Amino acid sequence: MGRRIAIVEDEDAIRENYAAVLRRQGYEVLTFANRKQAMHSFDQRLPDLAIIDIGLEDEMDGGFLLCQSLRKLSSSLPIIFLTARDSDLDTVSGLRMGADDYLTKDISMPHMTARISALFRRMEALSEPQDSEQRVNCGSLELDLKRMQAHWKGLAVDLTVTEFWMVHALARFAGHVKSRQHLMQDAKVVVDDSTITSHIKRIRKKFIQLDTGFDCIDTVYGMGYRWTTDGD
Amino acid sequence: MSRRTFVFGLRAKLLLMSLFLFAIPWLGYEYVWEMEKYLRAGQERTLLGTVRAVATALHERPRLFDAQASYLSVEKGRDLYAYPIVDPIRLDGRLNDWRQQQHALTYDDNYLIEQSPAYQPGSLSFSHMVGKYRDYLYAYFEVQDAEVIYRPQNSLRIDRNDHLQIAFTTPAGDFRRYLIATTGPGWLTPYELDTGESVSGIRPLSPEPRIQGSWAQTRQGYTIELRIPLELLGSKLSFAITDVDKIGGEPVATIGTSDVGDADTLGTVLVPSPEIEQIIRGLGHTDSRIWVVDRYQRVLARSGDIRNSDGIWSRNVSGEDEQGWFARFEHKWLHPLYYKVLTRPPKDFIDQFYDVAQLEGSHIEQALTGEAGSDWRLTPDNKAVVLAAAYPIFIEDEVMGAVIAEETTNGIRSLRNLALEKLFTLMLAIMLLGTLGLFLLASRISSRIRRLRDQSEQAIDEQGRLRGSIEPSHASDEIGDLSRSFADMVQRLGQYHHYLENMSSRLSHELRTPVAVVRSSLETLSMEDEGAAKSVYMQRAQDGLNRLSAILTNMSEATRLEQSLQSAERQPFDLAEVVTGCMQGYQLAYAGCDLQVSIAHQPLEIEGAPELIAQLLDKLVANAVEFATPGAPVLVSLARVQRQAVLEITNQGPLLPEEMAGRLFDSMVSVRAGGKGGQPHLGLGLYIARLIVQFHQGQITLHNQSDRSGVCVRVSLPI
Repeated sequence: MGRRIAIVEDEDAIRENYAAVLRRQGYEVLTFANRKQAMHSFDQRLPDLAIIDIGLEDEMDGGFLLCQSLRKLSSSLPIIFLTARDSDLDTVSGLRMGADDYLTKDISMPHMTARISALFRRMEALSEPQDSEQRVNCGSLELDLKRMQAHWKGLAVDLTVTEFWMVHALARFAGHVKSRQHLMQDAKVVVDDSTITSHIKRIRKKFIQLDTGFDCIDTVYGMGYRWTTDGD
Repeated sequence: MSRRTFVFGLRAKLLLMSLFLFAIPWLGYEYVWEMEKYLRAGQERTLLGTVRAVATALHERPRLFDAQASYLSVEKGRDLYAYPIVDPIRLDGRLNDWRQQQHALTYDDNYLIEQSPAYQPGSLSFSHMVGKYRDYLYAYFEVQDAEVIYRPQNSLRIDRNDHLQIAFTTPAGDFRRYLIATTGPGWLTPYELDTGESVSGIRPLSPEPRIQGSWAQTRQGYTIELRIPLELLGSKLSFAITDVDKIGGEPVATIGTSDVGDADTLGTVLVPSPEIEQIIRGLGHTDSRIWVVDRYQRVLARSGDIRNSDGIWSRNVSGEDEQGWFARFEHKWLHPLYYKVLTRPPKDFIDQFYDVAQLEGSHIEQALTGEAGSDWRLTPDNKAVVLAAAYPIFIEDEVMGAVIAEETTNGIRSLRNLALEKLFTLMLAIMLLGTLGLFLLASRISSRIRRLRDQSEQAIDEQGRLRGSIEPSHASDEIGDLSRSFADMVQRLGQYHHYLENMSSRLSHELRTPVAVVRSSLETLSMEDEGAAKSVYMQRAQDGLNRLSAILTNMSEATRLEQSLQSAERQPFDLAEVVTGCMQGYQLAYAGCDLQVSIAHQPLEIEGAPELIAQLLDKLVANAVEFATPGAPVLVSLARVQRQAVLEITNQGPLLPEEMAGRLFDSMVSVRAGGKGGQPHLGLGLYIARLIVQFHQGQITLHNQSDRSGVCVRVSLPI
C-alpha cells in the first residue's frame, strides 16, 4: 500500500509539481491549498507524512498553526516544512513546533524525495529490530542509520534528518575536516554558509543539553568542522 | 558633521538686540530734559510774577526816582556811582581800608579840563572812587604828581598850589563849589567858593566843616580821603584836581570828572537809595536776588544773594535722608556713575554782576522800553545758569526804572537730578532684568535648537543610516513644532529606510516561490522525459536557475546576518588562531593566488563571535583576491597596536574611486564592473563586513595605498 503524503501549499504550480513527482515515486498524494481544507481532511484521517508551507494564502503563519494542530493529533507523524522563508528565526520556530525537518524551496526534487524516504525509513525502523550493520559507532556516539537516530552515551539525541546527516558526515570520518560544502552535499541541502553554521550550533546545543561536557565538534576556522572522538 | 560653535549665535544676537534697552535711559533723559524745560518756563513765569509784584510796589513813587533818574544820559567817568561801603573808613589818607578799589576809575589826559602851555602830558593823573557809608559819601583820590606844592603858610590865595575842587548841587538844587588846599599833609579844611556871577576867579568864602578829609603824601604824589554828608548832596557831583608845579605859580593843568565851573556841566552821582532797599527788603524774604535800576541801568537798590537764590523749587528737593542698604548702595556706587553724566549744581560760583554799578542785558533793555523781559545766562565760570526777569517801573506812564529779579536754576537742576537718579536706577534695574531675561530666553532657545540639532545629527549616522528616532518635544511653540516635524520626518524616513533595507530580503523571499515553481517544473520534466533531461537547454536552464538561487541567497544574507547578530553570543577567543586557521583554508581555496600572511605570535584575545570573524575574513579576502592584479601577492597582517588588534589586507590592483570613499560599506554599493559573469555581486560584502566589525565595536576603513599601487582594508578591533 502506498504511503499517504499530504502537501499543504498555496502555490498551485509547486504543489502540483511536487505531487506529480511524489506520485511517480509511488506515494499517494493529497494536496491542499489552505489550512481549513487540510484540517478538515486530517480530522477524518491522518496522512503518513505532511509537507507544509508556512505562509498559506492569507495566513502568514498558517503552516505553524497547522503543524501545532497536527502535533496534537499525533506525536509521531513526520512533518516537513517546505518554505521560501529561510531565516534562522523561522527555521528555529518551525523545528521547535515539532517539525522533523525544515527545507527551503531551493531544494532539488531528488534531494527532497531522498528526505522523504529517509523519514519513512526512520518511521519503519522504529518498529523493526536493530540491525548492527547499519550502525556507526564513534566514541560515545552511536548512529543508527536505518532508524536515523543518534545516541550519545546511550541517550537518544533528537536530531532532525538534516542534522542527523550532518552528524553522520562528520562522525563517519572522525578527525577529518569537513568543509561546509561537504556538509551541504551530505545533508542534501542547498543553503549558504551561515545556515550550516547555525545548523552546527543547534546540533552542539542538542548534545550539550544531554551532556554539558560535550566538545566533539571542532570549528576549524576558514575550513569547516571536525568530529573529535571523545575518550581517545 | 562637525559640532560648530557659533561666534555670532542666537544668544549674541539677542544680546545685541537688548542693546536697544539702552535707548530707554536716553528716552528718560530726554523726557526729564523736556520736563526741565517746562519747569524753567514755570520758574521764568514765577520770577516774572515776582518782579511784577516788586514793580507794583514801586510804581508811582516819583520821590524815589526824581533825584537820580531825571538825566538824559549817563557817562562813565563823568557820572559817578557811590558803591555801598560795608566796613567803616578812617579818614587818614591811607587807602587800605577801601575794599573795592577795583571799581576805582583812573583819570588822565583824557579828562583834562584846563591846561597851560607848560603842561607836559602824562605828568598828572589820579584814580578815584566814591562810596556810601551810613549817611556819608566817601571819596578818595590817589594822585600821581611829581611835584607836590602845598599852600604857603600865610598865603591868602588858595589856588596857587595843588588843590582839589568839589562841585555839587544840593537837594534843593543850589550850586555849591568847594576847594581843598592844604599847607601840609594831615587834616584838611575845604573852603566854600563863591558861585556868583564871575565864575572865572576863585574866591574863597568860608571854610566848610561838614566836609571832612585827610591829605597824605605818597611816593608818587599824594592821596586825599574825604567824606561829604549825604544831606548836602543832590544828584550832581564833580571833582577836579589842579596841579601847580612851583610855589605860587600858575596852575599847569586841571583834570576832573567834569567841569566844576558851572552847575550845568556837572556830572551826576548816584547814591543807592536806602528807601527803595527798604521797600524791597520789606517785600519779603524772596528766594531771588532783586535789583532796582534806574533808566540808565544804574543800580538803585539790591537785596538777596544769588548763591542762595535757587528758585522756589529747591525746597522740594532737600531732605529725604534715606537709610538702608539700598540707599547706601545707591550713594556709593550708582551716584558716582550717574554724576559722570549729570552735573551737580554748584554751591559756589562767581557771578560777574555781583558788584556792578550798572546792569546790562536784553531783559533790562526790554523792561526799560516798557515791557517785561527775561533772560537766561551762564555765569562766567559756566557753573550755573542764572535766570533773570525784569519789569518796568512806571511813573506817570513813563519808564523810570526796572525791577530785576535773578535766580539760579540750581533748584530745578537738583530736582532734575533727583528725577534722573530715580529714573536711572529704575532703568538700570529694567535693563538688567531685561538683558538677563533676553539672555536666558536666548540661551533656552539656542539650547533647544542645539539639542534638536544634536538629536537630528544622532538620528542619522555617517553613512546616512537611521540610528534612532527623535523624541518629539511637547513644547507648544515653533521649535517644538519643528522638533515634532523632525521626529515625524525621521520616522517616515525610517519607514522608508526600513522598506529599502528589507527590500532585498523581501525580494528574495518573494522570488523564491516562482524559482521553486520553475525548478520543480524543470525537474519534473526531466524525470518524465529522459530526452529533455539530457538536453543542453535543460542544462542551461538549470544553470540559470542555480545562479538565480545563489543571487536570492546572497540577497537575504545581510538580513539573516543582522538577525543572527541580534542573537549572537559573545565569547572570548584568540583572534590570531582564527585568522591563522582561516588563512590556511584560503591558501587551499585560492590556490592560484599568492597569499602572504604575517601574524603576530602573541595570542590576541578578543571578545566576540569567531564564526562571524571568519565570515568577515571570507568577505575581505575574497574581495582582495578578486581585485588583486594576477600574480601580485595579497598581504594579510595581524598585529597588536596599543589596545587594538589591527588586521590589514592589502592587494595590488585598481584603486578605489575617490567619490565612493565612505559609501562602500553601504548596502548595495559596488565598484565592480558589471557583467563579469560567474558569481553575482550585490554589493553586500562590505556591508556585511561592516556589520560584523560594528558588532565587535571595531572600525573598518578602506583606502588606497599611499603609493597608489592598490587598496588596503584595515580592521581594528578593541582587545
